[in-house]
Amino acid sequence: MKKIKTGIGTLLYKNISKGQLLGYSCANVIGLTVILCSVLFYCDSRHNLNKEDKFFSDDYIVITKKVKGINLEPVAFTQEEIEKISQQPWVKKLGGFASADFSVGASVDMGGKGMSTYLFLESVPDEFFDLLPQGWTFDEHNNYVPIVLNKDYLALYNFGFAIPQGLPQLSEDMIGTVPLKLIIRGENGRNAVFNASVVGFSSRLNTIAVPQNFMDWANSRFSDNNDKKTSRLIIKLDRLNSSGWEQFLADEGYEIAGDKEGDSKISNFLSLISGVVAANGVVICLLALFILILSIFLLLQKSRPMLRNLILLGFSPLQPSRYYEGIVLKLNSLITLFAVGLTFICRMIWTSPLGALGLGHGNVLFMLATALIYFILVSVLNIMVIRKHLWSIWLPKD
Amino acid sequence: MEIVSITLEKLLPEVFSGMEETSRIRESRIWEVPSFTIEKGCRICIHAESGAGKSSLLSFIYGNRIDYLGSIFFNHKNIKNLNIPEWCDIRKNNIALLPQEMRLFPELTVLENIYLKNNLTGKKTHGEIEAMLSLLGIEDKKDTKVGKLSIGQQQRVAIVRTLCQPFDFIFLDEPVSHLDSENNKIAAQLIQKEAKENQAGIISTSVGNHLLLDNPEYVKL
Repeated sequence: MKKIKTGIGTLLYKNISKGQLLGYSCANVIGLTVILCSVLFYCDSRHNLNKEDKFFSDDYIVITKKVKGINLEPVAFTQEEIEKISQQPWVKKLGGFASADFSVGASVDMGGKGMSTYLFLESVPDEFFDLLPQGWTFDEHNNYVPIVLNKDYLALYNFGFAIPQGLPQLSEDMIGTVPLKLIIRGENGRNAVFNASVVGFSSRLNTIAVPQNFMDWANSRFSDNNDKKTSRLIIKLDRLNSSGWEQFLADEGYEIAGDKEGDSKISNFLSLISGVVAANGVVICLLALFILILSIFLLLQKSRPMLRNLILLGFSPLQPSRYYEGIVLKLNSLITLFAVGLTFICRMIWTSPLGALGLGHGNVLFMLATALIYFILVSVLNIMVIRKHLWSIWLPKD
Repeated sequence: MEIVSITLEKLLPEVFSGMEETSRIRESRIWEVPSFTIEKGCRICIHAESGAGKSSLLSFIYGNRIDYLGSIFFNHKNIKNLNIPEWCDIRKNNIALLPQEMRLFPELTVLENIYLKNNLTGKKTHGEIEAMLSLLGIEDKKDTKVGKLSIGQQQRVAIVRTLCQPFDFIFLDEPVSHLDSENNKIAAQLIQKEAKENQAGIISTSVGNHLLLDNPEYVKL
């Protein structure tokens, strides 16, 4: 039996303005690509290739007071100074380093070659770690202390100390396997020896860090001094209110431990650029969205008599609605895929210059999530406009 | 749901409000009467001069317009209480309407126009559709765009399309105003045959050129 395949789609397709849809698609691809590029550029510019620090993100800084001349008394922050810093808008979280009130030595046996040195230990509250190192706790019955070292110390050892002393150079992984002995001599005459090992490296934390609970326990056991002074502070910055923190530290004469602020400045500048570009992308996308909604309105308005005739023939308003929704979903999928593809192509442009700054290869998931959210938001908005309009067409004339 | 009767109670277009005492309304057998019922299986020719509200009456019954006073009942249900799915179902299965303006799609061919409806209802076979077109003398136009046909030819296409659904009542608004008497007869026979199969009622309007039904009841609007 012959059957003519005249569905509702044949009729509706003939009334769609392909030019308007093409205009919307082009504008939207450009707008979305700009947004996605800025998001990916932001991720890349926040991602430090060479100095990755899994325990502390860029949001942390460590500050100290400047040492002037010769200080016999330890240079430490007063309670008032700590109070003033904590009230700054850019401070999200503030904590003090706890230092050891006892003498510490370490020894290591490397292939029959013994080596020992005096050491210092500090601890940072666990809440400041983005990721706690494995086994980062102390149990006095276990007699074992985990340590996190500053990366620069390893570089100093490998390139400044090991070669002239005829000692082997060590990788980060290798250091972790070296058994250490911590020898503690308390002012109160108590002594102890602990097993220890390096469980991680940090570029932000320029100290030799041990767990807070070890430091509390050891200070109470090996020292009678109850007057704890805080010589270094760790601060988590509030990125949304981070302007002015460098000026404050300069005005107060505080120093940032390590030399990380240079990286932060570049990173912040690149973030700012990303923000400006993203804002432009949002404006373009809003305009494109406006074009689509206007196109849908024009199309539905132009097709109003035809749609009304279809409804009077017995078609449900959902049938033309589904057809238009299908087109919009297909179109938005294509736009999103195109924009994601273009974003990856555009990434090639900045990969090399960012790489020269030691930045790049950030996580693409955030960009992909942005594309998905955009697709869902725009599609839902489109479908709502279509359904509302078709519903109004169905209603009988007063 | 089968519709066995349609009742009009005190029905009056809003535009005629305030004219209840004029001779046009007082002489009408439909406007403002306490109750006017159309039964399934009826053959009615509604006649009136232009502007008397024939098309409005059919639009009210078909749910296309609601600017009226009084009430319309399908069986005993007020049609203002019908929801969208119920209306879609009624327009597919219970009430067929051939509007005066025909509401064909000029960008589609004759067959495409007919199949738009027939694919929705699945009522007729291709052979049956071709037979109807042939009977009405427009089989050779089946692949021609409707926009290129004369009004008389379009009326015949619209009649075929209207018959491509099951119905309890068929409403035809001046269906043969542009047809000669020979085609009028053929169209009337075709419509009556379909109505008989469905045991349906036929309600046709005209300003003078009546659809040539067998023994219709003439009602002045």
